[in-house]
Amino acid sequence: MAEQIIKPDVNFINDIIAAGGESVKKCFQCATCSVVCNVTPEDNPFPRKEMLAAQWGLKDRLISNPDVWLCHQCSDCTAYCPRGAKPGEVLGAVRKLSIEHYATPSFLGKAVASPKALIGLILVPVIIFIAAIMVQGNSFFPEGEIVYAEKFMKVPYIDVIFSAAAIFALFGFFMGVTKYWKDLTKNIEKSSNPWQKKVKGPMIAMILETVFEFMTHKRFDKCDVTNDRSKTHLFVFFGFVGLAITTTWAIAYLYGHEFFHIQKTFWLNFGESPYPLYDPMKILGNFSAVLLLAGILQVITNRRKNAEKAGSGSYYDWLFISVITSIVVTGILSEVLRLAHVRMVAYPVYFIHLVSVFFLFAYAPYSKMAHMAYRTTALVFAKYTGREVK
Amino acid sequence: MAEHKKVLVIGGGFSGLTAAVETAEAGFEVIIVEKTPYFGGRVTQLNKYFPKLCPPNCGLEMNFKRVKNSGDITFYTLAEVEKISGQEGNYDVTIKLSPRFVNDKCVGCNACAEACPVEMSNDFNFGLNKTKAAYITHNQAFPFLYAIDGKNCKGSSCGKCAEACKYDAIELDMKPQTINVNVGSIVMATGWDIYDISKLDNLGGGKLANVISNMQMERLASPNGPTGGKILRPSDNKPAKNIAFVQCAGSRDENHLPYCSYICCMASMKQATYLRDQYKDSKASIFYIDLRTPGRYEQFYWKVKEDPNVSFTKGKVAGITEDPETRDLIVEVEDIMAGKKIKVKFDMVVLAAGMVPSTKTAKIPGDVSYTPDGFVAAASLKKGMYAVGTLKSPVDVARSVQDATGVAIKSIQSARR
Repeated sequence: MAEQIIKPDVNFINDIIAAGGESVKKCFQCATCSVVCNVTPEDNPFPRKEMLAAQWGLKDRLISNPDVWLCHQCSDCTAYCPRGAKPGEVLGAVRKLSIEHYATPSFLGKAVASPKALIGLILVPVIIFIAAIMVQGNSFFPEGEIVYAEKFMKVPYIDVIFSAAAIFALFGFFMGVTKYWKDLTKNIEKSSNPWQKKVKGPMIAMILETVFEFMTHKRFDKCDVTNDRSKTHLFVFFGFVGLAITTTWAIAYLYGHEFFHIQKTFWLNFGESPYPLYDPMKILGNFSAVLLLAGILQVITNRRKNAEKAGSGSYYDWLFISVITSIVVTGILSEVLRLAHVRMVAYPVYFIHLVSVFFLFAYAPYSKMAHMAYRTTALVFAKYTGREVK
Repeated sequence: MAEHKKVLVIGGGFSGLTAAVETAEAGFEVIIVEKTPYFGGRVTQLNKYFPKLCPPNCGLEMNFKRVKNSGDITFYTLAEVEKISGQEGNYDVTIKLSPRFVNDKCVGCNACAEACPVEMSNDFNFGLNKTKAAYITHNQAFPFLYAIDGKNCKGSSCGKCAEACKYDAIELDMKPQTINVNVGSIVMATGWDIYDISKLDNLGGGKLANVISNMQMERLASPNGPTGGKILRPSDNKPAKNIAFVQCAGSRDENHLPYCSYICCMASMKQATYLRDQYKDSKASIFYIDLRTPGRYEQFYWKVKEDPNVSFTKGKVAGITEDPETRDLIVEVEDIMAGKKIKVKFDMVVLAAGMVPSTKTAKIPGDVSYTPDGFVAAASLKKGMYAVGTLKSPVDVARSVQDATGVAIKSIQSARR
């Protein structure tokens, strides 16, 4: 093998430790992890080599390493690790640092990763929504029947704020993933690994295959120790898919009525919210919310149950879980409290709901939510280079 | 000479015997208490042992002779210490003697075993075969007396062994006894057990017939073992010619034994030579994290390494499955140097299981404290009680003997006070 010069980055080691990989130094390179891992390829398997790179602070071998994202943190490696080095947790920390590395603007990457910046991050949507209520001249506790849209936060305000947040997030994702893909493909040229040079098949087919893979959680389901996570993640995933469809559907109701003058037909309530409970859009929304709630509660209980074997997770993990929990709990409560006419509680809860959704959307490229973009990219890349699990 | 007391040695393995004879030959009276029906401990179960790679009797026989020739050693088999009270110079010790059901008239003719209708697992061979409830562990046992297993024997209602014995040596109504002794010091030499390989679920220990422990391998290779020294695999008794040795099977693993068991690397290399000496076309593959060859043992490694049919692969085996038809084993490992996850087929797998101090499960009934792993915490021992060899940390026979010799002088000092 050609001579290689290694440049250890001590700061990167400290970053890994601070990001939840405090066990990294315990690894003694026995390779139990690579053997018990069900999602690693046979050639150049992970996570042993990643553990070595992490101990040496070889940042460039980790940040743009697609294997880091092929890992689904099953924790099979962590359970069997003879040293308590928790490879699953270390790779989780590396993924966090990878998200932070590709974050654009980069200060947001650092802010979302740091507990110190949490208050500031929450204050942004809080101030925006308070300002919006004041500009509309609405009361914080409107009188009479509860109508969130009409009396509290009118649809155009919601649309403008969330569209802006979504565009901002999409921009962040686009910038991050573009940079990441560039690094991935740059390494193809540099790499001495033969598997990194193989390119086969049309890209679109690989993308479709990847999408099919995560729709069914085929890869995730190979986990042994924390196999239940695959199921709960499926709940959360389809909860979100259902809610995304609901949102699009609601937009169709609203603007279909406003711009195309579509009237209420059968049980399809074109027009403004709130919508009756029998409406199929409403049914889908409520069903998805329950799915999401069930999923995220299971995520929390599983994490606690598996803490001993798989590690208890970092701030970064728990921030993400908390935001989703907050969205689903305040979302369901807003509806229940509205139907129960508990005005004084309903509006503040709805306010928290808006703040939580904003938090998830606007900060998605910098939070653990970004895993959906980076993991998808890495999986497509794995197919692109023929690095597939047999 | 000043008045002095007796010395009690708990455990009649190589360490205990050494401490006993060294003490006795200095003119002190010694009592040895041994739990099993024979003396010699783990060494008797080995085929060959380091450093000279001679069979167990080469060192043990001399010690047995020293025990017999010394007028100052009283020894008990099937005996366990129940209670220790007192302090240095004055310990009251209660010893429970379990019945052997065979007296000193036994000549070792095997008639009782032939007559005995009860079969039981042969613990001496680590369950590799069966033995009768009237049995002798091995042909060089000391004392050379048969024993009848109290748990499995049907008692005088059966009595077939007593009928078969021509020498009036069987006493099925023998009762347990308790004796009390007063001693000046106590040497604890209760040794070690092999780590239970059934706890290694990903390695198929206890589940797959052809996955055995390194101590079972010693018995397979031993001329007085279940196969008469032929290395045959348990599932079908076919010669096992292609064997994998899995290092650190339990050792250096916080889920099992968080320490290095010191001698397993050497044991596997030694066993590779058993295999290579027995079958010309055999292959031994040793999978390891790091090869540990303490001190001058390194030279043995150089010698073994020269054999092209012995391979060393860096990478810990973390998965073993069985081909259901052939009962061959598929070993899964990352070959770290090649950077590849590989699956390799073998006739048999030997797990280099680690040492567990006997005090992990059976504590000494006296004022002794332990490390979290069950070893005697030697530094906190009070004067008068001394631990030897593998009770303090995993060591080989040679170091146990050195330790026991050193402890002999300590126990003498305590017995003189």
